[in-house]
Amino acid sequence: MPLRSGISIMKIITCPINGPRPLQEFHFGGEVRTMPDPNSATDEQWADYVFNREGEPGLKREWWYHVPSGTWFIAERDNRTDEFVRTFLYGAEECDG
Amino acid sequence: MDRRLPPRDGEWIDRSQSVEFRFEGATYRGFEGDVLSSALWANDVRLLGRSFKYHRPRGVYSLAGHDANLIVEDGIRTNMRGDMLAVSSGLDVRSVNTLGGLDRDRLSITGRFGEFLPVGFYYKAFHTPRRLFPFYENQMRKVAGLGRINSANQRANSPKDYAFCDLLVVGAGPAGLAGAIAAAEQGLDVLIVDEQQRPGGSLVWQWADAATAREHLEGLLEQLAAHDNVRLWCGTQAAGYYGDYWVALVDDTHLTKLRAKSMLVATGCFEQPAVFQNNDLPGVMLGSAAQRLIQLYAVKPFDRAIVLAANSEGYRVALDLNEAGVDVAAIADLRRDGEATELAQRVDDAGIRVYRGYCVYEAVPAAGNKRIRGATICALDEKGVPRSEALTRIDCDGIAMSIGWTPNGGLIYQAGGRFTHAEHVEQLIPQTLSPGTFAAGRVNGVFGLESQIDDGYRAGLAAAAHLGSFTGDVPPSPSHYESPSSHPYPIIAHKGKKNFVDLDEDLHLADFENAHQEGYDNVELMKRFSTVGMGPSQGKLSNINAVRILARLNGATINQTGTTTSRPFHQPVPIRHLAGRSFHPQRRTPMNHWHVRHNAEMVYAGAWLRPEYYRVDGESRDDSILREATHVRNNVGLIDVSTLGKLQISGPDSVEFLERIYTGRFAKQQVGRLRYGLACDETGVIIDDGVIGRFSEDRFYVTATSSGAAAQYREMQRWAQIWNMDVTLVNATGHLAAINLAGPCCRDVLQELTSTDLSATAFPYLALGEAIVAEVSAKLMRVGFVGELGYEIHVPASQAMHVWEALMQAGERFGIRPFGVEAQRLLRLEKGHLIVSQDTDALTSPFEADVAWAIGKNKTFFVGARSLAILRKKPLTRRLVGLMFAASDAGTLPEECNLIIANDELVGRITSIAPRSTLGYPIAMALLSPDLAKIGTTVKIRVDGGSLVEAVVASMPFYDPENSRQNVQAES
Amino acid sequence: MPHRLLKFALSKKHPEPRMFRAPTELKSEYDAVIIGGGGHGLAAAYYLAKDHGITNVAILEKGYIGGGGTGRNTAIIRSNYLTPEGIRFYQGSVELFQDLSRELNLNLFYSKRGHFTLAHSPASLRTQRWRAEVNKHLGIDSRVVTPEFIKETVPEIDLHVGGHQAPIHGALYHPPGAVARHDAVAWGYARGADRRGVEIHQRTAVTDIEIRDGAVAGVHTDKGFIKTRKVLSAVAGWTTHITPMVGLRTPLVIHPLQAMVTEPLKPWLNSIVVSASLHLYVSQSSRGELVAGASLDPYELISMRSTLDFAEGMSTGLLDLFPCLGDIKVLRQWAGLCDMTPDFSPIMGVTPIKGFYIDAGWGTWGFKATPISGKTMAFTMAEDRDHKLIEAFSLSRFKRLELVGEKGAASVGH
Repeated sequence: MPLRSGISIMKIITCPINGPRPLQEFHFGGEVRTMPDPNSATDEQWADYVFNREGEPGLKREWWYHVPSGTWFIAERDNRTDEFVRTFLYGAEECDG
Repeated sequence: MDRRLPPRDGEWIDRSQSVEFRFEGATYRGFEGDVLSSALWANDVRLLGRSFKYHRPRGVYSLAGHDANLIVEDGIRTNMRGDMLAVSSGLDVRSVNTLGGLDRDRLSITGRFGEFLPVGFYYKAFHTPRRLFPFYENQMRKVAGLGRINSANQRANSPKDYAFCDLLVVGAGPAGLAGAIAAAEQGLDVLIVDEQQRPGGSLVWQWADAATAREHLEGLLEQLAAHDNVRLWCGTQAAGYYGDYWVALVDDTHLTKLRAKSMLVATGCFEQPAVFQNNDLPGVMLGSAAQRLIQLYAVKPFDRAIVLAANSEGYRVALDLNEAGVDVAAIADLRRDGEATELAQRVDDAGIRVYRGYCVYEAVPAAGNKRIRGATICALDEKGVPRSEALTRIDCDGIAMSIGWTPNGGLIYQAGGRFTHAEHVEQLIPQTLSPGTFAAGRVNGVFGLESQIDDGYRAGLAAAAHLGSFTGDVPPSPSHYESPSSHPYPIIAHKGKKNFVDLDEDLHLADFENAHQEGYDNVELMKRFSTVGMGPSQGKLSNINAVRILARLNGATINQTGTTTSRPFHQPVPIRHLAGRSFHPQRRTPMNHWHVRHNAEMVYAGAWLRPEYYRVDGESRDDSILREATHVRNNVGLIDVSTLGKLQISGPDSVEFLERIYTGRFAKQQVGRLRYGLACDETGVIIDDGVIGRFSEDRFYVTATSSGAAAQYREMQRWAQIWNMDVTLVNATGHLAAINLAGPCCRDVLQELTSTDLSATAFPYLALGEAIVAEVSAKLMRVGFVGELGYEIHVPASQAMHVWEALMQAGERFGIRPFGVEAQRLLRLEKGHLIVSQDTDALTSPFEADVAWAIGKNKTFFVGARSLAILRKKPLTRRLVGLMFAASDAGTLPEECNLIIANDELVGRITSIAPRSTLGYPIAMALLSPDLAKIGTTVKIRVDGGSLVEAVVASMPFYDPENSRQNVQAES
Repeated sequence: MPHRLLKFALSKKHPEPRMFRAPTELKSEYDAVIIGGGGHGLAAAYYLAKDHGITNVAILEKGYIGGGGTGRNTAIIRSNYLTPEGIRFYQGSVELFQDLSRELNLNLFYSKRGHFTLAHSPASLRTQRWRAEVNKHLGIDSRVVTPEFIKETVPEIDLHVGGHQAPIHGALYHPPGAVARHDAVAWGYARGADRRGVEIHQRTAVTDIEIRDGAVAGVHTDKGFIKTRKVLSAVAGWTTHITPMVGLRTPLVIHPLQAMVTEPLKPWLNSIVVSASLHLYVSQSSRGELVAGASLDPYELISMRSTLDFAEGMSTGLLDLFPCLGDIKVLRQWAGLCDMTPDFSPIMGVTPIKGFYIDAGWGTWGFKATPISGKTMAFTMAEDRDHKLIEAFSLSRFKRLELVGEKGAASVGH
């Protein structure tokens, strides 16, 4: 149910399209994972992709979604300090300096 | 007896406004501006509360809300703090947690059993014999707890506010005011908050002897007033700091959520108590409390007093008491060298005797412990051990303690700052501050009056520099190298075991020694076992002494010992301020008011409101629902299905995109046709379904479940990016409304409103087109969810009501009736159509749900395909099947989720059931073990009472298995 | 007056010994090493010693015992789960709890209060009935009750929940639902383990785990290296600090879970009340405070910071359910870490690395499992094979796509 009360609004995240917005406007989409080729992956490799996560502490690459504008983007965030190091559109990082 | 002093400059009371109030059933008088504690003390009422464990008499202690001695309730509100509660006419309160009133509290008898009740005693007993524990626990619960709730208390809303500023200054004392001025001068937008009713902080009660104090305050306030860009909110606490300078500001009436860019913490310190025998009884109080009584409320704290001092403030207290007419019998100065400043001379001039290197050994109680009548003091040897063999007794009714301070640093901790214990000031001082946090004044370890103002000013400039408004040099922080204001160990052992460290929890010194002995020897274990700091004052007056004791027991330094985590809230916050107005968004379709006017029973489906059924006088709910469904089967009905998800997908890659999202194939789907869409997640579990309509080569219109629509849209957007596909996705769920018209007569009804040829050949089952219906542009579909001839009409929400009414009007001569969600659920069950998340759960695959037919053949990829390939190799453990019951079973039917049992094993469960159907017998859908899923097999279901009911596995659809009703080929 | 308290008055010196020793040095070798001095690790050590006679054990705790989830949870104990595997497992724990205070000779304040899971929609009530039926089938006292019953038992509740959202349709009622003093569980097991020879090393952090030929060979700590062939990781929210050391991949994601406590009140709420729709749960402790929690923080974070919106959302729900609580004040808020799994069931047992055992995936359901997880993990370590009760929770279930779906029963985890 998307319209639930109690969503955090105190942090500010910079959406690559909309600029700094309160956390309430975002949805967390989990870590960025690369799908292996389903046709050549073994059952075990496939299950690993589907379920396993890089849960260790550190700098993470994550999917975040700005709900009001429907913008998906990638955030590099430290999952210990909650510091957003940078945010960028998927695919834009190759162009980044 | 009236302890009120003559009027004095700067007092907070308004003597022209007399106030009558009641406390513990007796009537007293006070003034506007009094708080309950001060008004009672003015009336010489010293017994203000009873402690939690031993029910010891308690009186004024901090007069600043740092202790929890006076907690009252008025029958409506509970747990109100006497130090912060303004007296008003009609106030009628009683102290909490007494048995038989404050004066005669029968529970004070527990004090006599102190020997049996050491720290953690309740862990050592009461658990055996087992059967008695509930009794013991019940008794403990009754004596624990402070106030009583009033279950008739009405819910009251406290609407919240937002606020913004460049700099939040917490504390309107000398440092805070100076900091605000400095920042304002640099153009910052400043908000100052102070939890007291008036600004000034320690200026209003601590520096009364310094003639400059009042001038300083007036000067600072004047300077402040000269700036437009400063706001001052008194009676407001900064309850907690949260990420990115989001601060909760709370006053009596509501919560304000502040977004600041920086924060200057000038919150000062909590004066700390000394620990000695009977240091908790009425008449023993902090020096600052005595000063507040005198300066703010013009109340003479005692008749005869001694001061226990370890700093200059103690000497000030003695002088203030003296000036207020108190007979100051002595100062016991813990320091061997006594006071180094000129205050020592002034005390001498006032004829006050000073005992250097002395401690208070015990406070001597009067009968009943309700006040003290003396103090015994003695010298300390070189090791700080009291020479208790040589006690000096001094008669007095008051002991004021000025032995130390600890910073009110919660906000600094919460913002990620760190403190370190600095031995030269014997106090915790900030060591690192997070960027954007600044500290000034006594919380920063700066104690002199001028120094505090300078430090505040410096911090204000630093804040301005941080925000880029000041490019000059920021002066360095004034040195902390002044004489320590705190005694390193103001704790005196006593075998009487009433030398309290934590007044909230009645913990005395030996409790800590015992806890340590038992192995609770670090600060966290100590806290959890002893409960130090866990009472209503959350350790403001006990945490640092506990740390000192633990450090000494461990032979460690304070820094090595550490402290517990500082957490919100600074002072407790009422639930209703946090709840605010409790907004609960509701989503309403355009026809909502029509439904309500036509007696619909509206129910929540998530945030949406939908008609469950339409009430008819004299008819039961079940009868109405069956009647609505029967009417659809025999005649024509319409239902508002606007909550359906509606997604527009277009672009060159549309087909490829849909084939990857859904299990089916769409490449060869004809324009103007619908197909079933089934979506799985990556694990192969069904997450959504709907219809997929093709308007053109590269333009599709997709429906989704009401509850799944937003997520489906969101995930589609992500996949589109990952696959880098040229596809446009639009979520039209709220933009378009949808109406489902169904029943044998429905074509006739619809044809009246549209020129589109609705004949069976022109618009067959699963046809899709754009049409004008009732003069409105519509997407038109022929669907079969309920199993009759049916059309779904999607129109812009703004025009939906018009179309609805046009349909009702056109259908009038056919007897058209609206039907609700329950009738629809019955109708679809008769057709064996599953509802995602009712007939499926969090682990159901298409194989289990019997919709594997929706998986396109020879598809190379779709979301979940690879997982389904794995699942396909495993034996099926359950399957969705239809069940029929004998018509006569109507009385003892299962409910949804009753279980199917075979040989005492769980073999399935009912997912949907209709006790009454248009077929005349009960039907159900169930997930069932494949061994039993053959048509005609009898299964047993356990109903709520425990008995077993039989059903027979039946093929689905139950109704019109040939689908001739919905597929109507010929004209009706 | 219980006779046990007499000794405190009758002896001059406090008559209680240390709960557990404080060894200053690590030995060079142990038969088993347990990483994590929380409830689970301490319980595992206790049962290793008591049930299996394995006493040459070291517990390595980087902070102080019970400082993680054990010290932060809201202490609810129940077995009304959804899957037969889950129910049997948690019921095992409930049974151990019945006598645990006596066994550990420490009052754990295990207090049966009755547990309501409120349903605010027909769909939710369906799920509650599903749970009730499976519970009953396995002999657990659990049933669906009407709104009237809820109101009779908890008169202060507002069945209309404020009036602007779905009302209460009924609830799953589990009379054996209980609360306990969570810290004491850790202390009791610590003492029990220590008495039997287990060494508890606080302030000792594991820095690496030595693997040779696919088997555990030892543990590196900040106080030196330990040779051992059996290592149990029982660190819940810190599991992803440990698993990389052995190269183990898991589905775990770590989310903070927050809680708060009010000022102490005279007893009025005897039951434990949970609402899956409002995402909150509340009970009244024996000290009189209301202890309340809500749903998981919405994104992964290995930090125990508090947020204001948690307090706001929590309060909104509380006031909706109990309108008379408006003037009751919140004293303090805190947080813990939850290591979440995709199916809301734990991850327990042997792993592909010989001698490395895992007790993780405890999400929001870990405290109640303390005794049974200790017992089963002790067996698993001693016998080097999964105890029957935990076979379904093997890490390997994910690669087989055989999830144990408890999402419907973890109340407000999601």
